[in-house]
Amino acid sequence: MTAQETANDRATSFQAVQGGGEHYSGEVLLVSAYAALWAILLLWVAMVWRKQTSLLVRLDDLQREIDKAAAEKVKK
Amino acid sequence: MDQARGRYGAAVFYALASVTTLAFVAEIVLVFLFAPTEARMGIVQKIFYFHVPSAYGMYLGAAACFVGSVAYLAGPTDARDALARAGAEAAVVFGAMVLTTGPLWGAKAWGAFWTWDPRLTTALLSFLIYVAYWVLRGFAGDGDGERRFAAALGVLGAANLPIIHFSVQKWGGQHPMVVTGSGGGLQHPAMKVAFWGGMLAFTLLATLVVWVRARLEMASSRLRRAEEDAIDLGLDTRVEA
Repeated sequence: MTAQETANDRATSFQAVQGGGEHYSGEVLLVSAYAALWAILLLWVAMVWRKQTSLLVRLDDLQREIDKAAAEKVKK
Repeated sequence: MDQARGRYGAAVFYALASVTTLAFVAEIVLVFLFAPTEARMGIVQKIFYFHVPSAYGMYLGAAACFVGSVAYLAGPTDARDALARAGAEAAVVFGAMVLTTGPLWGAKAWGAFWTWDPRLTTALLSFLIYVAYWVLRGFAGDGDGERRFAAALGVLGAANLPIIHFSVQKWGGQHPMVVTGSGGGLQHPAMKVAFWGGMLAFTLLATLVVWVRARLEMASSRLRRAEEDAIDLGLDTRVEA
């Protein structure tokens, strides 16, 4: 909106494009597709990382209990 | 795990990861520097070189899920369940790639991101089946009953794969048949090299994805059994599904 335009100058109707559908840039679509591909793969890597972290937490819990049981056995 | 076997597995894994990386570098060079721009569609046609191989990766994941599921139903083991689960996850990952890259190509070629074309619809259905498998395994626990139910879903999901493949021949639609059709196919030798390079790179990637995920699932199953043993011995460790 330029300085001379007022609120009353804004669009008050929508008109259909004549002679065909919308046009998309091939370059933008190609880069988008390529970026999406790697984004999906990296998302999967992040999910695998999260799963590994969860396993490590469980492993730590198990190790702690084993250490505790071993210490009690030594006391006895 | 036997140490020698573990070392051998690690060596094969690193070799496979290296070859996959090289294959992708070569593929990028082939697609963006050697394969010519298509005459009618322009540069957007280059999406084809990783859209079709992604679909192939989805088939490979689904096939792994099918094999693991059938094997699990025949004789339940952790390894068979891990293969089925990893395959389903690979099918979701590669299916997401197919269903993202395809519409981006369609926006230029067809003037619409999506049409209810038979191949698009059956591919979406297949993707949703593996998403359902994934959600089921993520939220329904990890008992034998859940594993068997998921295995049945894994077998059912594979039934849709031939339907995706033959939908274009049987029901027509707008989806191109450049590779399997009887038309001219890829007209330039560099297009063929880029296409088959993509197929190789995605085959290697799908193998890596299934392997890494199955290995993680095996580790999870072993840990769960160790936790159960610990509880049997009177240790107060928590057990997660």
